[in-house]
This record gives sequence, structure tokens and C-alpha cells, in this order.
Amino acid sequence: MKAIEIEGLIKEFDGIRAVDGISLEIEYGEIFSLLGPNGAGKTTTISILATLLKPTKGKVKVNGYDVVTQAGKVRHSIGIVFQDPSLDDRLTARENLDIHGRLYHMKKDERRKRIEEVLEMVELQERADSLVKTFSGGMRRRLEIARGLMHKPRILFLDEPTLGLDPQTRRHIWNYIEKLRNEGVTVLLTTHYMEEADKLADRVAIIDKGKIVALGSPSELKDSIGGDVIKIRCSDANKMAAILSSNGFNAMIVDNEIIIKAKKAEKEIPRVFALAKDIEIKSIMYKEPSLEDVFIHYTGKAYREEAGDEMEAIKRRWRMRR
Amino acid sequence: MMGDVYAVYLRELIRLWRQKVRLVTTIVMPLLWLGVIGNAFNNAFKMPFEGDFLSFLTPGILVMTMVFTSTISGITTVFDREFGFLKEMLVAPIKRESILIGKMLGGVTQAILQGAIIIVLAIIMGVNFKGIESIPGMVLTMFLVSVAFVSFGLAVASKMTSMEGFQMVMNFLIQPMIFLSGAFYPTKMLPSWLKIGVKLNPLTYGVDAMRYFAVGINEFNVVIDLTVMIVLSIAFILLGGYLFRKS
Ligand SMILES: Nc1ncnc2c1ncn2[C@@H]1O[C@H](COP(=O)(O)OP(=O)(O)OP(=O)(O)O)[C@@H](O)[C@H]1O
Ligand SMILES: [Mg+2]
Repeated sequence: MKAIEIEGLIKEFDGIRAVDGISLEIEYGEIFSLLGPNGAGKTTTISILATLLKPTKGKVKVNGYDVVTQAGKVRHSIGIVFQDPSLDDRLTARENLDIHGRLYHMKKDERRKRIEEVLEMVELQERADSLVKTFSGGMRRRLEIARGLMHKPRILFLDEPTLGLDPQTRRHIWNYIEKLRNEGVTVLLTTHYMEEADKLADRVAIIDKGKIVALGSPSELKDSIGGDVIKIRCSDANKMAAILSSNGFNAMIVDNEIIIKAKKAEKEIPRVFALAKDIEIKSIMYKEPSLEDVFIHYTGKAYREEAGDEMEAIKRRWRMRR
Repeated sequence: MMGDVYAVYLRELIRLWRQKVRLVTTIVMPLLWLGVIGNAFNNAFKMPFEGDFLSFLTPGILVMTMVFTSTISGITTVFDREFGFLKEMLVAPIKRESILIGKMLGGVTQAILQGAIIIVLAIIMGVNFKGIESIPGMVLTMFLVSVAFVSFGLAVASKMTSMEGFQMVMNFLIQPMIFLSGAFYPTKMLPSWLKIGVKLNPLTYGVDAMRYFAVGINEFNVVIDLTVMIVLSIAFILLGGYLFRKS
């Protein structure tokens, strides 16, 4: 049995396909990321997994239970952090967590203990008894994450958990997610930050316009588009390029720098040094392709992750809060 | 199940407690009705019943306040939808009915608290209640009125997508119901074509029951009054439940 099984999932809103035939399986204990630009269908997919929306077509199982016919059992198995704010801001942080614990049938002592644990995890102990109304956006986000973890779900959905957070807080949250890996929690994480998916996920599905365009571990995905880029500066670029070319490399000179492509740069760099002999190598560096390069490779277009988009998304969240 | 209902209800209670100032501000209007209109007309004309106008008016104002409070509190589920908390409850492993009942009890609690405040103020103003024996009947009537209109509010909230809808419901449904319920005047004083509206208006019977239990004045048989209110409550609970589940 898999933690999550999705087969031929389609979701239409008034004839518009938000999810267009997604199939994938997620193992227990895996950290899996859905990566894609705005409107790709990430939230829609998660909402279906969390039983908030019904699929138009397709079979979806979570923890072995069908999301349509066994919605109650699915809800027992999962925790979720929504993309949009869903705290009660007239309650304190502790009250939000306590109500959550009650909704998930936790006993009193268990609730009390766990509230302290999760508050400590997101470093909000000092503000435990302040109204959420008085929290900053980042604090609310951290509290939402704490709440999602409160009842120790086996399977956790995180919809853009770090959207709009400062780099430091984002790193904190990445640390929590790493901790969850050690606890064996299955995590399905959506994000449009390439770096986030790259850093955290065991496997990534890149989705665009409701379709999976690429699926694999970050390194598999990056390998799949043809390896690393190596840049070399040396005392005699022309001679060096000639040597490299006659040894099976495809060397180019750009701005007095030699550029070669290699499947695994770490393996090729020692060979470059060996071939150089009396040519002095001043610097050598290589760049792994990023998931961004992968996205461009598979969709044939630039990734739409501009600052403007993010600001828009943050503004949208604020409007919703008002 | 009970625990789930309690969790939802507990949140409503905490919110109610946080907004206790509102509990006081929302009794300003009923207080004006009693203090100004009630006293102004107290000896203005000969009423077709025993007793003073203020005592006649008080049960009507009580019902009016509860109808407003209950409807509004039912409609606040819209805020839950707008502000996301409803999602938190919808993904929790609890029945939809628990959410509904918990929210309903929250609204009923608020309305009854408000009713209690008005009763105390009315006593201070010198309204002649029947006595201790009026309490059970009044509480029962308050409960029925608030259950019915909280459910009505929930039904409206499930269908409503904007705040304008809220104004529409208040102006075109709730206000006419209150004005045609005999809350402010003896319905005998109306021309006969308006009396049809009064008889068809279920709230008329709620006001009549309240008046019977509170000050001993009534137009209809109290059994009929209560039957109408029970049927109305059940109908609105079913409607509210159905629409809420569907949305
Ligand atoms: N309730 C809805 N009614 C109509 N269309 C919807 C609804 N929810 C989503 N959509 C549409 O479905 C598509 C996918 O939306 P979704 O929210 O799943 O995207 P996303 O990948 O989560 O994007 P983002 O990064 O902006 O959160 C969009 O085109 C959106 O307009
Ligand atoms: Mg989304």
C-alpha cells in the first residue's frame, strides 16, 4: 500500500480543467513536492486529497482510503496546512491549538503536552496566550504549521508553507520539515520556490497547467537534462580548449573562459587538471543545473516566478485576511 | 460526537466572551424601544386588554431582539467561510452535523443571554411579569425562536455569496416578519387585509407565546403557538442542515 495513490485525476471547474489527468504514487515516509507556477493546479490537487473537493474523474486514495467513499477515514489520517489563512484570529494561539486537538479527539493531557511541544517547535511559546489578531503574517504561518502537526498526522499536506516568509523563518520551517522526515511522516508539499523543492523533497513532480511534466528526485530531474556546466579560466585558453576537444570534451570559449558540459562535474574536473599539465589553471567552477533549468527544458518556457507574482500572492493573502 | 459538538461550541463561546461588549451594545435598540416608545404610549390610548402598554411591548421586543441576534449569528458562518476557519473544521474527522449543531448552540446561547439581559432591565423598568412561574415557558419560547432563526441564518449563509445578500434578507424578510408579528401592537388594531399577513406569519405565534408566558396576555391558544414554533424550528433546522451540507 502507498500513502497516496492518484490515478487519472481530472478536476474541472465550469468546464475549465484545473487538474488534467494526474497520476502518481507517494510512498510512506516520503517527502514529495508538487512544484509549479501559479494556477498549475497544486491547491486543487491537495484539496481533493484532503476531501474538500470531489474529483471530476479519476481514483484517489489516501492512506489506502478512497477520498470520495471513505472521506471520514481519510480525514482521520491527514493533517493540512492551507495556502490561505484559516486560523481564528479572535482566539489565542493556544486556544486555536486546543480546539484543533479537540476536533481530532485528543485527550486533555495529551493536548496540553502537545500544545507546548508544537509551540516550542515554531518558537511561539511566549505568544501562546496572545490573540492571533495581534500576530504578524510570519507568526500566523508558523502557528498554522504548528496546528497542522498538532495531532501527529501520518500524512501531512503543506500548501505553500513558506509563502511570503522571510528567509530566516523559511529556513526554520525547512528544519521542521526535515525533522518530520526523521519521524517518518509522509509529507506532500506544494511550492513554487525551486530551491525549496530541491532542498527538501525526495521526489518532485513538476506540474504545469494541470499536467505533470516531469517526475523524479531532484538530482534525477537535473541529470535528465544533460548534466553540469563547467567553466575554466587558464593561462592559455586556446591551447587548453584544443586539448580538451581532442580528449572527447565539447569545449567552447566564451569571454576567455572555457565552457564544457559534463554528466557529473565532480568526476570530470580531476581529468581536466590531469590534461592541463603545464597550462596553469587559474580557476575552475561548475554549476549544477537547477530545477528551473529542468522546468524550462520540459515546458519550453521560462518559469513564471517573478517578484511581482509573489507580491501579488502575498497581497492576495492579506486581502483575504481583512 | 458530543465532544465534536462541544469543540465547535467552545470556540463559539470563546468568541462570544471576547465580544462581550457587543452583547451590551446590541441591547441599546431594544432598550430604546422599551424606554421611549414603551413609556410614550404607555397611557396614550386604551388598549384592548388588561394591563399597561410597556408590559405588552416587552415580550415583543424580546422576540424581536432574539430574531435579529439569532439570524445574524447564523449568518456569521459566512465569515468562517471567508476567513478560512470553516475549512479547518471541514477537514477534521468530525461529522458535518456536529459543526452545524455546535454553531447553532453558539447562536442560541448568545440570543438567550441577550434575552436574559433585556428581561432584567425590563424588571427594573417596572414591567409586570407573571412571576417565577413564567421562567420555564419564556425560556422554552426563547429557545424555539432562537433555534429557528439561527438555523434560518445558517440556511441563508449557505446560499449567500456577498454581504449585500445579508441586507436583502434583513430588509425583505426579517423586518416585515417582525412588523407583522404583533410585537409592537395588538393585531386586533390592524385592518383585516393585514391580519391575513399576521396570521400567516409564524413569528406571530412566537410573540404570542412569549406574551402569554411573560405577562399573561394572548390572542391564540398557547398550544397552537408552541406547535407552530416547533414546526418552524424543525423546518429551518432541516433547511439549514440541507443547504449547509450542500454548500
Ligand atoms: N473554486 C474554483 N472555481 C473555479 N476555478 C478554480 C477554483 N479553484 C481553482 N480554480 C482554477 O483552477 C486552476 C488551478 O488553481 P490552483 O489554485 O489549484 O493553482 P495553484 O497551483 O495552487 O496556484 P498558486 O501557486 O497560485 O496557489 C486555476 O486556473 C484557478 O483559476
Ligand atoms: Mg495554490
